[in-house]
Amino acid sequence: MAEVGRVSIRLPSAIKQGDVIRVRTLVIHPMELVQRDKQGKILPKNYHFIRTMTVNYGGKEVMRAETTQAVSQNPLFTFPLKVDRPGKLTVTFSDTMGKTYEGAAEIKFS
Amino acid sequence: MSKEAPKGIKAGHSRRAFLRVLAAFTAFASAWKVALFSDQAAAQANLSGLPLPDEPVESTLKRLFSNRPFQSGDGKIKLELPLIAEDGGNVAISVDTNLPVSGVTRANHMYIIADKNRLPMLAKFSFTPESGKAFIATSIRLATTTDVRAIVEMSDGTLYAVSKNVRVTISGCDLPPQS
Repeated sequence: MAEVGRVSIRLPSAIKQGDVIRVRTLVIHPMELVQRDKQGKILPKNYHFIRTMTVNYGGKEVMRAETTQAVSQNPLFTFPLKVDRPGKLTVTFSDTMGKTYEGAAEIKFS
Repeated sequence: MSKEAPKGIKAGHSRRAFLRVLAAFTAFASAWKVALFSDQAAAQANLSGLPLPDEPVESTLKRLFSNRPFQSGDGKIKLELPLIAEDGGNVAISVDTNLPVSGVTRANHMYIIADKNRLPMLAKFSFTPESGKAFIATSIRLATTTDVRAIVEMSDGTLYAVSKNVRVTISGCDLPPQS
């Protein structure tokens, strides 16, 4: 898992102004599962998983997600975005180890 | 002796007062410390990966929505899930709605809740008018065969809910126990 934290963003190939597009974003992350001992007790430790996802479009926050351990490993999110201006789209993930991972894409009209 | 007695009483008084002040201060300090600590613990539990205790779905719904009634989201929310999930660790889910995300009453938040997971709230998504639409697709982990609910909270507090049953062949949440 050398590439933990790689974020990739996929945009539709042709974007028209005013469209509501679907953006797909993938982050490489283990999303560590809770561990139990033989008695079924949860081992108390700091589990490594993504807590939040924030989407910024042209410097403004447009979407936010709170995630838990019940989101799959290497999660893929598809979310909507209303594109009315060209700008930079950034998706930021922050995990329980205090790290943040960011991916960026440029919104351009064809 | 008679001269010292009032002094002694006085001393007793001041000691009593001092002890009272000390006791009050200790109580206050410990209460403050407890409050601070529980706040800190809550914040830590929110932001860190420390495990939270198991929770039944009723208390999750109570905690999130404080017993507000649900309205049927049929025709408003489309929840897509497989009927049978062979791997509970990776179940594709997509929630599509035709509820507005701008205007006076708009769809603010979307919750994905699996009734029989250890912690039923799986994810929460918040939309803004710039989203254009309330839609999400992702992949989740399911512990066992369960009902999955998608709940949309509007800005006026109305809750729309739909649910769907998924049969899970292999649990996505159980690891082999540690020795």
